[in-house]
Amino acid sequence: MTELSLAPFPLLRLPLAPLLFAALLWPLLLGLRAALGATIGLGQLRPHLSRSLNKPLNQPLSQPLSHPSSQSLHRPLDWLWISAPLPALALAVLGPDGSLWLEAWLLGGSWELDDQRRLLLAFSALLWGLAGCYARGYFAAEQAQAAAGDTDSRARLLRFALFWPLTLCGNLLLLVAEDIASFYLGFALMTFSAYPLVIHSGSREARTGGLAYLVMAVLGEGMILAGLLWGAGTGSALTLSELRATLATADMGLWMGLLLWLGFGVKAGVIGLHLWLPLAHPVAPTPASAVLSGVMIKAGLVGWLSTLPLGMAGVDEAFHWLGLAMLTAGLIGAFAAALWGVAQHNPKAVLAYSSVSQMGMIAALIALGLLQPDSWPALSVLVLFFAAHHGLSKGALFLGVGISEQSPRLPAWLLWTLLILPALSLAGALGSGLIAKWGTKKALDAAGEETLAVWLSLAAVGTTLLMARALWRQWRQWPRKRHMPGSSQTSQKHHTSPRLPSQHAPTAANDRRLLAPMPLAWLISVLAALSLPLWFSLLAGGIEGVLSGQLADRFAWPPLSALPALLWPLGLGVLLSVVFGWSLHRVAVRLSHWLPAGDLWWPLAFCGRWLWHLVRRMLRRLAALQSGWIAWWVARERDGLTGLDTLTRAEGWLRRQLALLLLAVALGLAAVLLLADVDHDIQRWRQTHGDAHH
Amino acid sequence: MSTMSALLPLATLASSLLTAAVIFMLPEQAVRTRTALNLAAALIKLVLVIWMARGLVAGEVYAVEFAVVEGLSFVLRVDALGLTFAGLSSLLWLFTTIYAIGYLEDSPNRRRFFGFFSLCVASTLGISLAGNLFTLLIFYELLTLSTYPLVAHRGTPQALAAATVYLRYTLSAGLVLMIGMVALQVLAGDLRFGQREFLAALGPEARPWLIGLFWLLTLGFGVKAALVPLHGWLPRAMVAPAPVSALLHAVAVVKAGAFGIVRLVYDVYGIAFSASLGVLDGLVVIASVTIVYGSLRALAQQELKPRLAYSTVSQVSYIVLGIGLFGPLGTIAALAHLLHQGLMKVTLFFCAGNYAEELGIHRIDELDGVGRRMPLSSLAFTIGALGMIGMPPVVGFISKWMLGMGAMQAEMPWVIAVLVASTLLNAAYFLPILNRLWFRPGPAHGIGTWPAERAPSRLETSVWLLLPALATALLSLLAGMLAGLPFSPLQWATRVVEQTYLMP
Repeated sequence: MTELSLAPFPLLRLPLAPLLFAALLWPLLLGLRAALGATIGLGQLRPHLSRSLNKPLNQPLSQPLSHPSSQSLHRPLDWLWISAPLPALALAVLGPDGSLWLEAWLLGGSWELDDQRRLLLAFSALLWGLAGCYARGYFAAEQAQAAAGDTDSRARLLRFALFWPLTLCGNLLLLVAEDIASFYLGFALMTFSAYPLVIHSGSREARTGGLAYLVMAVLGEGMILAGLLWGAGTGSALTLSELRATLATADMGLWMGLLLWLGFGVKAGVIGLHLWLPLAHPVAPTPASAVLSGVMIKAGLVGWLSTLPLGMAGVDEAFHWLGLAMLTAGLIGAFAAALWGVAQHNPKAVLAYSSVSQMGMIAALIALGLLQPDSWPALSVLVLFFAAHHGLSKGALFLGVGISEQSPRLPAWLLWTLLILPALSLAGALGSGLIAKWGTKKALDAAGEETLAVWLSLAAVGTTLLMARALWRQWRQWPRKRHMPGSSQTSQKHHTSPRLPSQHAPTAANDRRLLAPMPLAWLISVLAALSLPLWFSLLAGGIEGVLSGQLADRFAWPPLSALPALLWPLGLGVLLSVVFGWSLHRVAVRLSHWLPAGDLWWPLAFCGRWLWHLVRRMLRRLAALQSGWIAWWVARERDGLTGLDTLTRAEGWLRRQLALLLLAVALGLAAVLLLADVDHDIQRWRQTHGDAHH
Repeated sequence: MSTMSALLPLATLASSLLTAAVIFMLPEQAVRTRTALNLAAALIKLVLVIWMARGLVAGEVYAVEFAVVEGLSFVLRVDALGLTFAGLSSLLWLFTTIYAIGYLEDSPNRRRFFGFFSLCVASTLGISLAGNLFTLLIFYELLTLSTYPLVAHRGTPQALAAATVYLRYTLSAGLVLMIGMVALQVLAGDLRFGQREFLAALGPEARPWLIGLFWLLTLGFGVKAALVPLHGWLPRAMVAPAPVSALLHAVAVVKAGAFGIVRLVYDVYGIAFSASLGVLDGLVVIASVTIVYGSLRALAQQELKPRLAYSTVSQVSYIVLGIGLFGPLGTIAALAHLLHQGLMKVTLFFCAGNYAEELGIHRIDELDGVGRRMPLSSLAFTIGALGMIGMPPVVGFISKWMLGMGAMQAEMPWVIAVLVASTLLNAAYFLPILNRLWFRPGPAHGIGTWPAERAPSRLETSVWLLLPALATALLSLLAGMLAGLPFSPLQWATRVVEQTYLMP
């Protein structure tokens, strides 16, 4: 069943199969628990039942709390719930490389763990865990309301508690899947389970964001399905590696690759398909935004890595064009998103545009896998590192948005230093960001792509601008005078971000402790993001790899002499943001009004509505046409029946008038005979007369 | 020929026919006897079919035949293909019977209803076990006649009108079928299913005739299979009670049409000969048009049952599409989807019936927040709808995947575009319903009231109504998740194809 090889920690070697099953099933079980809780809760609160019990609904219920099952019912986000990604983390750290073959599963399941999957799994599970922990603090007020008997918040929380682990399960499955069906299942499960997370608050903006998310997701799923079916059908492939091999050599491989690129591109935020990102991120609860931007959009990247023939020898020439398209789209995305993003008002929208921009950069690197297959082995590790770096840093930034809204008891300078650190890292100034940048520069130099390196440095200027903008907006929204709730209330009224009514409620004092779930999760995420280089190479190459120094130079700190070349985008970015911020601060509000988040979505949605009306009218006309056609036939049938009726009537008439008719016929005949006789006579007379005449 | 081999098919047929006769003789008030009889007959039939399936795998032969007139025989013969349909109809029959018992509680004319209900399943079984076109045609007509009272059951002017439309369509189709069958008999004699070499051996001068007869017979079967433009009766017939809708859409009637086409292509003409006649491409085109057209019309419906009805029009054509794709994978897809569509669609109609019975909901915009009031029915509906869209791990995905593979095997990549378009359209008309069920506030949240709520029961609705829906939903989930197990629909279809495909 399993082929064992060396685990990164050889002392702690655990079998693969139980770890894999535990990683996938544990979130499902937790989700099931929430669902059961919801059903039980519904049974208790069925209106007619409670009416029959003569108990009003919204009374603070002290009785259910004493009930053993009700603890999880009223506070669904408990510590057990937070543990959902722990088995996956254990799998990433302790699981040996190997594969698992499941004959009965779908079309034949094959799950694998290798270095690439281990890395993705590790940072995904880590961020999921931190965001889950954060969610417990984030929803504390809502949980309190639910415990006090507010059915709506309890229903919302139970929904969140159900779909969060489901989304996680989909994400994990797509990471470990090697067979196409499991991969598609994981992708679809993740995509569709995240919808309820996006619309959590139920506000109008949330519905718009959810709609954008769902429409784009369905379009993406359609393209992915088309690409998968086409590719797998051509090569009768069942696993992803067979699919890649098929794509590389198939006649129409380019078109399959194009479909897959665009399909996964919806998730990865390729420019033009990114519309859902800036609409869904600001409206989703902050922990959900963090995993959406940190982990879930990486699923698109994973899709590219596992389906496109990157770095393969003997790839069809046509893939060069796909590579060029990916490169161009990636760079355009990196710049356009930065330009549009700096005009945004909501810090989470700014961060969403930053994700589009960063994913554009990663896409440009991936495109090199098609353009320069030889340099792919070095680039692929870099892409993974970049993805993990962006995921964790962006996660920390999103979590920080919530922290700046309900700040813990920290001195302001420390709080803001901690908030700025991941931003600086993302801009490439320190920590994992600096190393990622240095690695990119080296790899691109080695591949002879200096122009691309310059473009990416310019894009980093955009990143700096976006980071400055996001932090500035957070600074402006920061409730500075916490002891005066009135002022913070009025400042919050100006927010464009739709927020839950529960969050307006003053947060309980113990949620501001540094070790409360929310600040704790945020702190750890900042640390994890900054220390990524330390543990990344440990997972990537195992202990032996680190000891032998194979990976050491790949993720080394840059020498001091290289720093100016790496840091000029940051300097330029800071300079530009100061200049722009000062010169444009009067028009900034109007600018963000003119350039709304979601850019192309609004005109497209307008066109879509118009088109829908058109289609609707066409369908109605079609229906009318069809009923007209049927009516025509019915009319013909009626004509036929009328004809038959006429015949019957004629027959009856004939029957009744038979005697008369016969008489008439007889008379007629007689007349004819008589006439014929007369005629005969005349003729004869003429004949005789004529003869006489002659 | 042992007696057992003749007895089993007859016993299976009799289990429903006798039940029908006894039910007609029972008085209207004998509710318990009738219920027990119905359930016992459904169970016995299922057991008999499973027994025959095991026997068939072990290599037994089950056949009965006797000559009606010289050169024309009545033949019952069990083969893997027929048993596929028989197994589906007996399994779903059990659930539909349970559902019908709950649905028609305390309503008039139940004797008539259950009598014709049993007659209906008897004819479905006859269709699946028929060994030649003549026998098939007899049971096909019997199915038409026994369904008419069911569609007209409510007796309202609407129901009567729908039943008349139904009768018109199906009787004319029966006539066309008979003409085609007679012509085929004249050309080739009394053909048993599986004797494919006769038609192929007729020589080139018979080819135009054979092509013409193929389309004539397809026309006849296409009415029940609801191929566009012969589908008009199906959306009209949704005025019938929910169990009858389940019967029409999932268990018997549309499936009988699709099964007829399966028999025509595989066992009368033979797939290789059909391909050489060039009729398969025509089938693919018709099926593709039907798939897209049905989905488009479904999108425009404002009521739940018509939307499901148009969805059936679209989904049943997947079977015809699979038949048209020349190659074993297309055939596997067609046979597997015959089973898959039944499981998913019956779930959807059960749930639609539950909504109508429990809350009086008929329109889609009345579904807001139903998930809170009826979570289990809504869960079943969600599984069915996701399956229809083709989301893994529900069985619909397996069908779609196999169809895609079959399309590539038949070298028709454009079929994938049809499949994807159908997926998108399915998502466009099912996801809004799911959104309303689960994520919109409605009467369960204190906004507005249900159209007509029934008196509360212990569960969200009657157990008789809830259990069948949950069972079929669970089956459609499991059949997809464990598609690799030996007796899953997919594996059974693969076995059928391995045994019969492209045999000379």
